[in-house]
Amino acid sequence: MKITTYFILFLSSLTFTSCESFLDVQPKDAVSDEVTIVDRTSAETAVRGIYSALRADGYYGYSFQILGFFSGDNIVYSGSQTVHQTLTNHSVRSDLAVLATVWNQIYHTINRANHVIAKVPTLPVTTGFTEENKNQLVGEAYFVRALAYFDLARTWGGVQLILEPTSSASSLPDLPRSTLQQTYEQVHLDLQRAEELLPATTNRIRATRQSARALLARYYLYQKNWDQAIRYASYLIEDQTNYGLVTPYHSFYSNNASNTRESVFELFYDVNNTNNQAGQWLASANGGTAWIRPSGTIFNLLTNPEIGGDRSSLVYRTATATEPNVLIGNLYYRVNRTDPAFLIRTAELYLIRAEALAERNGAGDLLAATTDLNAIRDRANVPLFTEPSNRAALILAIEQENRVEFALENHRWYDLIRTGRAQEVLNISDVNRLLLPIPFSQVAIDPNLTQNPGLD
Amino acid sequence: MKNRVFRYSLTILLSHFLVYPLFSQESKPLVNATLKGTVIDSLTKEPIEGVTIQLQGVTHSLKSDVHGNFQIVTGQKLPLTILLSSLGYSSKTIVANQPEISIVLQPSSDRLEEMVVVGYGTQRRRDLTGSVARLDAAEVNKIPVASFDAQLQGKLPGVQVVTNSGVPGESIFLRVRGTTSINSSSDPLYIVDGVFLNNTSLQTIGLGGRTSSPLTDINPADIESIEVLKDASATAIYGSRGANGVIIITTKKGSYGTKTKIDVNVLGGWAEANKALLPKLASGPETATLANEWWINSGLDNPALNQTFANRPFRPISEGGRGNPEDQETFDRLGFLLRNGKLQDYSVGVQGGGDRSRFYIGAGYTGQEAFIKVIDFSRANLKFNFDHQLSDRVKIGLTNNFSRTYRNQARTGDGPQVSLFNSAISSATNIPIFTEDGAVNGVDNTYTLVDNYDVNTTSLRYIGSAFAEIDLWKGLKLRSTFSADYNLYDESQYWNSKTSIGIANANQATSGISRNSTWINEQILSYQTNIGQHQLSALIGNTLQSNTFDYAYLEGNGFANDSYKLISSAATVRGSESWSKYTISSFFGRVGYNYADRYFAEATLRTDGSSKFGANNRWGYFPAFSLGWRLSEEQFLSSADWLNEFKIRGSYGITGNQAGISNFAARGLWSGDASYANIHGTPLPGVGPFQLGNDNLRWERTAQTDLGVDIALFDHRLGITVDLYHKYTSDLLLEQPIQGTSGFSDYWANVGEISNKGYEFLLNAVNIRNQNFTWNTSINISGNRNNIEYLPSQITQYTRDWVILKEGHSLNSFWLYEQLYVDPQTGDAVFDGQLADGSLPTSARKVFRNAYPKFYGGIGNTFTYKQFDLGVDFSFQYGNYSLNLYRYFRERNPSSGGVFENVLNRWQEPGDQTDVPRLTSVGLNYTIDANSRYLEDASFLKLRQLTFGYKLPRELAQKVGFSNARIYFLGSNLFLWSKYTGDPESNVTSNPNSQGIGSFGTPPQPRTFQLGLNVTL
Repeated sequence: MKITTYFILFLSSLTFTSCESFLDVQPKDAVSDEVTIVDRTSAETAVRGIYSALRADGYYGYSFQILGFFSGDNIVYSGSQTVHQTLTNHSVRSDLAVLATVWNQIYHTINRANHVIAKVPTLPVTTGFTEENKNQLVGEAYFVRALAYFDLARTWGGVQLILEPTSSASSLPDLPRSTLQQTYEQVHLDLQRAEELLPATTNRIRATRQSARALLARYYLYQKNWDQAIRYASYLIEDQTNYGLVTPYHSFYSNNASNTRESVFELFYDVNNTNNQAGQWLASANGGTAWIRPSGTIFNLLTNPEIGGDRSSLVYRTATATEPNVLIGNLYYRVNRTDPAFLIRTAELYLIRAEALAERNGAGDLLAATTDLNAIRDRANVPLFTEPSNRAALILAIEQENRVEFALENHRWYDLIRTGRAQEVLNISDVNRLLLPIPFSQVAIDPNLTQNPGLD
Repeated sequence: MKNRVFRYSLTILLSHFLVYPLFSQESKPLVNATLKGTVIDSLTKEPIEGVTIQLQGVTHSLKSDVHGNFQIVTGQKLPLTILLSSLGYSSKTIVANQPEISIVLQPSSDRLEEMVVVGYGTQRRRDLTGSVARLDAAEVNKIPVASFDAQLQGKLPGVQVVTNSGVPGESIFLRVRGTTSINSSSDPLYIVDGVFLNNTSLQTIGLGGRTSSPLTDINPADIESIEVLKDASATAIYGSRGANGVIIITTKKGSYGTKTKIDVNVLGGWAEANKALLPKLASGPETATLANEWWINSGLDNPALNQTFANRPFRPISEGGRGNPEDQETFDRLGFLLRNGKLQDYSVGVQGGGDRSRFYIGAGYTGQEAFIKVIDFSRANLKFNFDHQLSDRVKIGLTNNFSRTYRNQARTGDGPQVSLFNSAISSATNIPIFTEDGAVNGVDNTYTLVDNYDVNTTSLRYIGSAFAEIDLWKGLKLRSTFSADYNLYDESQYWNSKTSIGIANANQATSGISRNSTWINEQILSYQTNIGQHQLSALIGNTLQSNTFDYAYLEGNGFANDSYKLISSAATVRGSESWSKYTISSFFGRVGYNYADRYFAEATLRTDGSSKFGANNRWGYFPAFSLGWRLSEEQFLSSADWLNEFKIRGSYGITGNQAGISNFAARGLWSGDASYANIHGTPLPGVGPFQLGNDNLRWERTAQTDLGVDIALFDHRLGITVDLYHKYTSDLLLEQPIQGTSGFSDYWANVGEISNKGYEFLLNAVNIRNQNFTWNTSINISGNRNNIEYLPSQITQYTRDWVILKEGHSLNSFWLYEQLYVDPQTGDAVFDGQLADGSLPTSARKVFRNAYPKFYGGIGNTFTYKQFDLGVDFSFQYGNYSLNLYRYFRERNPSSGGVFENVLNRWQEPGDQTDVPRLTSVGLNYTIDANSRYLEDASFLKLRQLTFGYKLPRELAQKVGFSNARIYFLGSNLFLWSKYTGDPESNVTSNPNSQGIGSFGTPPQPRTFQLGLNVTL
């Protein structure tokens, strides 16, 4: 009978087997973990992914930057999240949300680098994918990982050293915090490998041998290894075909400049991937919020022709409907928010060498230091330093020069920490406050992660 | 694959039509008698419409028309035995001897015979063993909100409804018996005429945390009834969709054998702001005074700031200041923004049917303006339902809903920039609106935003189904349904050169088009039989569902001038696209048994397979059992005349949840959204890991126990229903936080347990019923206690971590520093846990109250006196708290914008008793974001709806050609009692599970006043 036939048909179709394929739905804009780094093209996209994490909002695009900005005395916060003022007041609590954002994003960047470091060396070499190609990609990953651990160390102290990619939630590493020294040793190791693996080309938005050397110079300065700092800074200062100070001062950033000779390493942004700290620097008339502002002190320093000189271009004063007097920082000024993030400029290497020379104080060092310092002063059109024999004054002058030269870049706080001057200059009574607290949410879920002493 | 499923489904459908001819040969009926009758109410002597008239010996029934008339044409001969039944009247069997009769029915409050819609079927209320609440849509469907869900507030026990903003057409918060989930959805499943409805907003343009509601695409006027399935026995037939309750919407269908009836309803009126709920700003001079005080105090506390009396901001202009405080003017921006929003609603419903067909055609237009400028909502819709009896055994039918909703939107809610309501509040009142040369002062001024930012969306929606039903054998039926929910959601924006975003991008236009399509194919085989006192029913079925979502976005920047608004004129264009899909396959069955209408038992089982989960755990099984016992049918209670009904029922079952999580949540994925350049200026693709996989990801499971009692007393004039329930959700679908060192912050896992325990109480009373006057009362109160039973690590939510999830506490608990008092000597805020040195460690921050009410409900009274009727409905919530973000933002630094009047109560000199600390930027007074000072008791009682109507006397109405005519006044939200400053229901986050983040930028709900006319032709 017909009905029975159809009824049986109906029931027979109620089988699970026919449904398993019905239930198999694949995403279209993401791929599975296992098939990500398999050849040259995929290795290259994975390396670009590392830079993408480095420039993201949570890291150099905004959040990491403001930790240093507001902790120093050059830049203040005037937005609605008044709790950011605890950075300026050096009373940060571990529940400050941006701490966790930065922490997670830095480790996210590290994980991307770890994937490349673990997988690319195992890929077969072909005619289209030479050993040099592979070395470059792995070298870049080492460079970024070194930078990431460097940033963690100078912000939080010794941290857990994760050197393998994370494959699943069930295989998370069970590691205690390393000491500060161990963390810096890892940075050193990674930078040495990067220096060795990276090609001697010039590319200001990607890591090269020269950018690894520049970061090594900074590293040695932090380690007070003056000889090496001088040596590594010199690698770039002497490479005058590719690197140099541009004149006038503002020409490294103004008129939509990027990728200039001044720049050793900067992060590239485009209209689809914007540098979102820009929105908080811009004045409201330019579509921004002006929540990040130069402090009154740095404004006065920069606009003082004897001190700031040409660097006064970094700031201006404006008025809005609600505020008659608003100080605006002008380093991030593009309304489409494509300003590069400047990580290492040639000027820094001059000042690194100047400081290392002055600190080493060997024969002729003070004079050489003065020459380096004056290279920066000369470019900014301010009076030159004239007492090379006064070492204390020279060291202070270099500190001051760092302050104004990198007024709106993320240097001031870390410089003062590095030189041990933060407590005195910023009037911080509690020595524990020279580190930031580990994010509350991380301490809560990771029993290995101990809080920094005296912080909560 | 998909094709296979299609082929199989088509086969099923076609089979109906092949089978059909077997049954379609019939002979023409013989006419032996015609019976004409009229049914009349014994009290009012008014004719009764819609009485079911069943001729003994045949299966067809028909209904009386609007004049109470009916006509039976039959092959039987007089005398005829007919059974008359109608909800609200005692049933009656009569024997008609003459061809024309008049029948009188007694009003009764007996609702036991009422048919209640349950999952995949209907049941008499008497037979229910689960917990099901039912509402006649007519009780609420005139309240001027855009969707039926928002109309339910205070009407149904166990259903909590919170309207988060006064913007018409936005999503609301609705919970059936509490919140069961953290990261997956806790919204109930909505079903319209068998179609599983998408109720996730397709809004993508950021409106400051506000989203549009997809349920607004349905015209409430087309709805016949709303059933809410609450316990596991009622919802388990929906398996993985049932954990949060099921709301079944039944639209009007017409009835067989009635004269065509045309209903026309016209409503018009206005919405206005309840001024008491609007923020109150300090005047210009007050603002300036406070700003000076802030300046000077901060300078005293931190001399390095160099802020002194001499350089205070509001000092004489001659001294370089902005003028003394007393010289400041006060400018009112809010007044400019307010208006009386026009409300209009027109609907026409045509319904009727012949012997073999019935139909309903509904057409409606609704226009609702918000009480703040620009924002409005409108909907035009067409509804067409049709059933046809092909033969005695085969029935086919269609339901269709076409609608177009249009929203003129504005950003309200979160964010200081470009937010319309906020722009009026966050500007200091002493700042002139216009500059001296007449231009608008400042960027994104209220005046600018009203005219220069266009944002609007159009939603085109089709919801419909087609079914065929075959009587295979005595009581054995096969029903096959194909249904679809298709939504095209088109959003566009234009920022012209006067707005901040327009300035930054040389004007910006965006266009986003979302398509959400669901198709469902369903087969149900049902069987029902009576063997003596034993009644048995059984059902098996399966469902295949597929949902596809895709979205295309275009953005153009750089326009020649404000006249060019289409992206085709833009200098640069960028675009993006997204696509996502899930499928669910389900099999289910139900067996019901009833002995002598006295003992009831029911069991259901459903299994669902979902594409969202890893292959290891794709299928979930959801059983439920229930028992009912009508003690009132027992001998030992038969002598109690006053006791009409006494039923106890209990159920236990397991339901699941998978809604709201990412369609690919179980997979370890690398995203392509990680581009960077090799050389400067040329972006190239990049990839990076963005999700950790979890092959073991599986359903969230909720086990629910329910105990209920239904009692009817005194000739059914007093009805009481009480339910106690315990829901326990385990294997929560959680974005489980993991160590950041892994490179991820969380991943999808089944972690955590939540319980909801509660009670529901419903009382319906007919207080007075006589010829001229009736008075009915309905009271419902529900309480729910939510508790996180297990959560290995606490999770914080919302910016600044204001909300915390922690074991041992309710969801939506606040995480705050508790301000104990303001020291009367120093004026400084003193916090619980503050250290001796004045610092405040994170350990002092505590879990503090929550956003859920201890109980909530409604009280409704209806009165009729002759031709007049009056309805008064209250709704209430008690014991819920809300963090008043508006106060947080506007009771701080008085020099950074508008300041609330409350700041005038600040501490000024030793001895002042206040909770508003001394004004200063230094120290803790105004730098603690998570300060308990802004947390308020948001309990409320409000007059939700007031209707007053007059029905034209029948003779008069008929003289002007109507069967019925009623003119009425309807007011909503007329009065509100609450301690909260603002609208206690307001909520500013778009996270659908979040509550209690109040007020900020959010227009409160409007008061509305409308006049309506309802005529039946």
